[in-house]
Amino acid sequence: MLSRVGWAKRVAVLSVVAVFVVGCAHADKEVSIAPLVPAAGRVDLGLGEGTRALSSGPGYKGSPSWSPTGDRIAFTVDGYVVDRPTDSEDLRHWTTRDFIAEDTEWISEDILMILGAASPSGTEETPSSLYMARADEDPLELEKVENEVSAIAPGKGGLIFALGRGASESRLALTRGSGDVRRLYSKSIKGRVASLSLSPDGDEAVLAVRPPGDLETSVLHVFDLRKGKGREITRLDGNQEILGTPQWTGQYVYFVAGVKNTPVDRDGSEPIYEIYRVPEEGGAPEPAPSVGEDFVAASIRVSPDGERLAVIGRLNPNSPTNLYVLDPFAKDLTAVTMNEDMEIKTGPDDLAWSPGGESVAVIARGTPSTEPEVRAAPADRLLRDFYNLYEIPVGGTPR
Amino acid sequence: MRDIVFWLSGAALAFLVTAGAFLVLANFATAPSEKRLNPHQARGESGQGVVLILDRERLASLRSLPDQSLALVVENEGTEQLSDVNVTLSVFSENTALSDRRYYRQTLEKIPAGEAARVLFEFDLPARQEPVARPPTVNPEPSREILEIRATTPEGNSTVRTVILPP
Repeated sequence: MLSRVGWAKRVAVLSVVAVFVVGCAHADKEVSIAPLVPAAGRVDLGLGEGTRALSSGPGYKGSPSWSPTGDRIAFTVDGYVVDRPTDSEDLRHWTTRDFIAEDTEWISEDILMILGAASPSGTEETPSSLYMARADEDPLELEKVENEVSAIAPGKGGLIFALGRGASESRLALTRGSGDVRRLYSKSIKGRVASLSLSPDGDEAVLAVRPPGDLETSVLHVFDLRKGKGREITRLDGNQEILGTPQWTGQYVYFVAGVKNTPVDRDGSEPIYEIYRVPEEGGAPEPAPSVGEDFVAASIRVSPDGERLAVIGRLNPNSPTNLYVLDPFAKDLTAVTMNEDMEIKTGPDDLAWSPGGESVAVIARGTPSTEPEVRAAPADRLLRDFYNLYEIPVGGTPR
Repeated sequence: MRDIVFWLSGAALAFLVTAGAFLVLANFATAPSEKRLNPHQARGESGQGVVLILDRERLASLRSLPDQSLALVVENEGTEQLSDVNVTLSVFSENTALSDRRYYRQTLEKIPAGEAARVLFEFDLPARQEPVARPPTVNPEPSREILEIRATTPEGNSTVRTVILPP
């Protein structure tokens, strides 16, 4: 007969063995976990808490544009234009799939202005046209507003656009929801207007201009829309170029610029662009304060209240691309995302503030693999495998 | 002395039994079945689920050329024989402006419970012509090809796999 101590020892040893067996056992075979889908609402792909997917599936997305109330968002997919409500997935097509749009802007809740063409466009040989599409009609029926348009920006109750064939001369014009040109400014601008945006009060426009005969967009103009007069406020030296659309906040115009890599000296490295600013009355550009010396900027966009700048860029050439918010008044650059794995798209028009200034739409994807990828979901439900739109809360409130 | 050893052993035993019970409960709570994780088998609760098994090496050998072939296995996970399982392959580009999606379909007449059947698709995977002049809004990168494979039972249970091929 076993003694009490011997019995206790055996039970203790058996218990230890049982615990190890149960605890270390593989209860399941390997399982495939379905990828995140937008139906799940908020997703976190490394873009921060509260991020919401606004698209899914294949397609090269670009140029997001919020409707005035923020209920819908329009964007380009492989060149054509779609929009959808921010709280559902009912995609609405605004152009046919053979259309190639460069930019879209809402001028009311029902009217979307589209810069593009029905064939490859955006070059001097085949300049883009400005079209108007109404939600209450067949949206695929585009109404042409003007030919040879190079840039657009939403203005007070309408749209300001630059038109002009070639590189020698441009003019500004205003259109409202009627589809015709409401005002054509007589004063011309020397060169081709590459991009434009409006001052916080909407009375002036700042233009990035490529001077006649130059290869780079290197001049900033300010154009007074009430007086119909413009003036040059700065000109970059050397082969520096202005990237994207200059943004007006406070007493300064901010812009992204850098030395363009030419085919001759191209060494495979990316050109390094920085954020500069110039006073609205004109002068030499200076690096934007509060942005580190090593910061590599890709695109900027001013908030609806005109007081903050959303910035897509990298803290240094070796760090990942992230979304930042620059408060020029508080002299503060805040990282909104601290993403390591997603590629945030760095096109000049690939970010947009929501009308209330609470969030920013960006476009991102996971790093593509060089091997075939297998997913347990239909292609149109996949997120990180393709460039898709995300709404990222930026935190803080406008001052 | 004997009493001390007895009480120490008893305390250790009680601790180990309690810990073991928690481990068992934890395993019960976190043991997900494949059916519950796969949204496309949501209607397969009656045991009529199908599983698609792809050969990664074969996928890696696919080229943008005509006459490509892809063998895959459809497994009947359920407890009853499946009849007339439709297996479809759609081949399309990541570039959604290209509208030349192609479909291939095969039907498996019988898959006994717990067994698998092999399907072979032969299809073209041509290199697509991208527009020469492209503004910045159009993808500057070469588009990837996508294979979407779906197996569907007559009862409507289906499973899907999407394969994204590198350019």
